[in-house]
Order: sequence, then structure tokens, then C-alpha cells
Amino acid sequence: MQTVYYIILVPMVYAAFALFFFGTAIKLVQLFRKPKNPSTLQIFPERGNPWLRAVYDTFLLPTVRRHNPLLWVFLMLFHISFLLLIIGHLELIEDFSVFQVIEHEIFLGSGFIGLILSISLLFFLFRRLVSPNRELSVPEDYYLLILLFLTVLFGSEMDWARNWYDYGEMSVDEYREYLSSLLYLRPELPESIVQSGHSFMLVLHVFFANLFLMFFPFSKIMHSFFSLPMNKLRRG
Amino acid sequence: MDQKTRDELLKVFQSKLNQAMTFYLETCSRCGVCTKACHVHESMPQVKYIAAYRAEIVRRIYKKYFKGQGKLWSTAGQSKELTEIALEELYEAAYSCTGCRRCMVFCPFGIDTQMIMSIAKLLLVGAHAEPEILTLLADTSITKGDSLEVFKEGFLQGMKNLEADVVKKWQTEAGKTAIPIDVEGADLLYVALAGAHSIIPAAAIFNAAGENWTLSFFEAVNFGAFVGDPSRTKLILNRIINEANRLKVKEVCICECGTAFRVMKQQSGEQPFKVTSITEVHAKYLKEGRIRLDKSKFKEPITYHDPCQMARNGGIIDEPRYVLSHLTDNFREMTDDPRYNWCCGGGGGLVALGEDTLDFRMKSSKVKVDQVKKTGASILTTACENCHTQLSNLNDHYEMGVNVQFLSSLVSDALVR
Repeated sequence: MQTVYYIILVPMVYAAFALFFFGTAIKLVQLFRKPKNPSTLQIFPERGNPWLRAVYDTFLLPTVRRHNPLLWVFLMLFHISFLLLIIGHLELIEDFSVFQVIEHEIFLGSGFIGLILSISLLFFLFRRLVSPNRELSVPEDYYLLILLFLTVLFGSEMDWARNWYDYGEMSVDEYREYLSSLLYLRPELPESIVQSGHSFMLVLHVFFANLFLMFFPFSKIMHSFFSLPMNKLRRG
Repeated sequence: MDQKTRDELLKVFQSKLNQAMTFYLETCSRCGVCTKACHVHESMPQVKYIAAYRAEIVRRIYKKYFKGQGKLWSTAGQSKELTEIALEELYEAAYSCTGCRRCMVFCPFGIDTQMIMSIAKLLLVGAHAEPEILTLLADTSITKGDSLEVFKEGFLQGMKNLEADVVKKWQTEAGKTAIPIDVEGADLLYVALAGAHSIIPAAAIFNAAGENWTLSFFEAVNFGAFVGDPSRTKLILNRIINEANRLKVKEVCICECGTAFRVMKQQSGEQPFKVTSITEVHAKYLKEGRIRLDKSKFKEPITYHDPCQMARNGGIIDEPRYVLSHLTDNFREMTDDPRYNWCCGGGGGLVALGEDTLDFRMKSSKVKVDQVKKTGASILTTACENCHTQLSNLNDHYEMGVNVQFLSSLVSDALVR
């Protein structure tokens, strides 16, 4: 079992990040080297500065707010929480004073970010089971949501255990030891990370996160990079 | 479908994959926000008429042949082989989409379904499965450009015959031609459609404004764009560009034809002339006091249908309203506002296909009928030939009891000295 843990927590993490970074970079380079559309794809009326409007469209999703307010609430909650989650994970590697401008405990959010993400993902998943979204969906849509849900669920469970049930065996310092060792290419697995009662949660969390990262460049999640340039096309 | 045909069609597909198209094909999250965007779906609520579903028919073929995911794990995105059945699906998707781009206003990424449908249309042309009449019409336009001399005499005589009708609307000064043609050094080249209704009112207004204008030998409509063939579109467009450059005009003014205007405005590239729509020109004449209109001419309430290619896709939104403010005090704006205006249901070549698409056009445009009725107007005006035909068909079919008019006709009827 320890070998499986090791494979998931060390080589698979490297493989997943390599695929994620190179896959995404290659895709972006290929795409931005393609010829531009010869004519404008703008829609009218013009609504102020095209770049500002594209940024507004990309980050505040005004069209979704207007046409599907409930979906918009969950989308905003999901994306904001996801951003906070990335910050939270960076802080599990080391201190970043810039993030501590608003002072907070590590891990960020006292367990509620994971909770919001889990609920949002369930909402996204179940809404796909209802027509017409069911007919519009392809397997990729479900796989990605299930994968993210499992990643978030096992990650959050560790967080909930520490925040809400005073579970103290796996602490921030030990995560930092593990994650920074990965970052500095001297991988080490502290005993408490692989041998505590909650280790299986960490291993499953990392396993599903690895799969997600590996799938990322080949999936619709590339919208994280494409949304802004696409909205710019619409705004001229 | 044999392998050779498929390979050729895939080459055609690849030729469309520029940066914007690849963005559109890579990105849809199938969130379904566009469900309410399409007039066809709103009038006939079937999943196949949702913009995202239409686009997915093209996207599935893209995934199969051009995307790593489709090659490695084809079930994940339900990628699909290009077969005869796929071509039938492409036909239904492409020719039930009018290219109005209302879905683009809804999509959080701004995916252009019309552009994705242009792949479907081009594949159909490649497989000789497109509506033949559109290709025929496009080829006729191209032939006319290549052998103008053959058509010239007949055209000049035809225009001579129309001059009396122009003069009836507006008396020209002695010695001036009512329909000037082939005038080198004219300020404005007017590109009309084949049909007196597109020439007589426009000519009367140009003459009333004292415009130094000339009429194009060619008709504005671009069937190449309807059938989704970029090379034919370009050839048809080039006839007008060459004529404008030969006559050294400063402005090319496109008649009331949405597609012709958008293609000319957005695809003619850097040219020494500017491109305007006739509605813009009329608004300019009114602003400059070059023409005056009698507001008491039309007493009934008037509403205006924004042609999608002029308004949402071409930016001509304020100008028709400015013109209408000189025509009536009883203008009734449609709701929602022009951004969300429903397509008339006749775009994308559907009207040009005539009777073949009539039943579909009538059923798919119920929402437009409701939108017009809600205004309570008795004159329904628009600035696009396709829209005018479709709205007239809707008027007959649904017994709407409105008077469908071109905006330019209203302007020419209300001209005063």
C-alpha cells in the first residue's frame, strides 16, 4: 500500500503537473499562432472600451446573470471559491505575505470554501440531469464534474476534520514539508502524511487532482484561458 | 462516404480553423444559457434548435479529427465520424440557423454559432449537398461580374425605363439624369438589388439631397455568403470593389440588404472608399438638412424591425430610429431592446430558398410575430430585403394585418421641398 501511496503522492504528481503545464502551453502556442479572423466578430451596440467590457464579461458573467440568475450565483460562488482554494494551496507550500494582507489562518476559509465548492459542483452535476441540459451534455461534462467533486470532497474532509473536529494529526507544517519537498525536487513523505488515519483522504485527494490536471489541457476547462480572448472578439 | 471524399472534406474543414474558429470549437461548456436565445427553439422548443446543440454537431466532427481528446478518448466528447448521416445532420443544423447571432449575446464566452455553421455550410458545398439554388445564384452573380458587356445594354435600358418613376417621386433639375450610371468621379456608388423597389425610392432621395451619385451595375446581394462559400463570397464582393475603385468614388452605399451590407462593410478590407448603409446615408441627409420629411404623411403607429446583420451584427441601430423620428411621432419600439431583437426567421439564405423553406420559416418565427403584435403598430418597417420578404410572408400567414414597408420607401414617400 505504501508503494501505491508513494506513486500517487510523488511521481504521479510530477507527471500530472508536467502534462498540465506542457499540454496547456503547447495548446496556447498552437492556438495563438493560428491566423486571426480576417473580419470583425463584434456584436453591437458597442458597450464602452472593448478590453474593459471583455474583462467584465469574463469575470462577472453578466449574460448568465441576466438569463439564468440561479446558475450565475453558483458559478460565481464556485469560481471565487476556486480562486481562494488556489491561494490556500499555495500557502500550503510556504508563506506568502501578499496573501496575508487580510490576515487569515491557513488553510483559508475555515472549511467553508470546500463546502461551497462541493454544493456548487453537485448543483452543476444535477442540473445536467434535467432536460434540455441533459441532451446538451456529453460524457466529458459529467466526468469533469465528478472528478472535481471527488477531489474537492476528499480535500475538504481533511480540512473539515481539522477545523470542525479538532483532528490534529496532519498539520499545516507537515503539508508544507511534503509540498515544498516536491517543489524543490527533493520529495519526502513525512510519516504523518502517509501513516495517519486520514492519509487515505490525502492520497485520494491528490489522485483525483492529478487526473484532473492531466485531463485539463484536453478538455473544455481550457476556457480558463480562452474566455478573455473570446469575449474580446465579441466586444471588438 | 469513401475515404477520398472524406479526406477532401476534412481539408475543407481545416481551412476554416483560424484562431477564432478554434476558440469557438474548443470552448463550449454546454451550460445551456443559450437555450432561450434562438427564435427557432423559442417557437418550436426542440433540443436540436438550441445553439449549443447545433454547434456541437460540427464540434463532434472537430473533436474526432482535429482534437487530441477525440483521438485518444473519443467517447468523452462523443466525437463523430464524418459520414453521409453526419452531412444530413449538418444540413439540418446549418439551414435551420439564420445566422442572426442572438445566441452570441447570451453565451458567457461569446461563441459565434453563425461562424461554426459556416463550416457545416462549406462542408455541404464540398460534398455537393448544399441547396443548389444558392450556388446557382452565386455563380450567376460571378458570371455577371466576368462578362459585364453582355448585360450592360439591357441594364442601361432597364434603368432608363425606371427614370420616369423616379421623377414622379422627385423632380430632378433640368439636364440631370434621374438614375446616373457609370459616372467616374461620383462621390457615392449606390449598390442596389435587382428590382425597382430597391432603386426608385433610393434614387429619388439621392436626387432630393443633391447627391453626386452613381448606380452600380451589380446587385448587392451576396449569395456566396448565404451558401457559406468564402471564395464565391469574395468574387461577388470584388465586382463591387473593382467598380468602386474604377469610378474613384469616396463612398459605397449598400441598399437595404443586411448580408450585403455586413459583407461589404466587414470583409472588403482597406479601401480608398468608405462603406455605408442606405439608412446611415438617409440619417446623414436629415441631420445636414439636405432632405426634409413630412411627418403628417403617416398617421398610423410605426414599428421598426432591426435586421440582424444591420443592427446586432453591423451596428446600424441609432440611424433608423433617427430617420423614424423625422417620419412619425408615433414610433413603437419593440421589446426587448435591439440587442435582443428576434430574428425575422428569414436570414442565412432561407428566404432565398423560397417555397422550400416557407413552412419552416413560418413555424420558426412565431416569436417574431408575437413581438410585432405587442407593439400595436400598423406599419411594420425594416431595412433589409430578406427581412421584408419574410415579414410579408409572416403577415400573410398569421394574418397580422400590418403594412410591411421598407424604411427607404417611407422616406421617399414623405419627401418635401
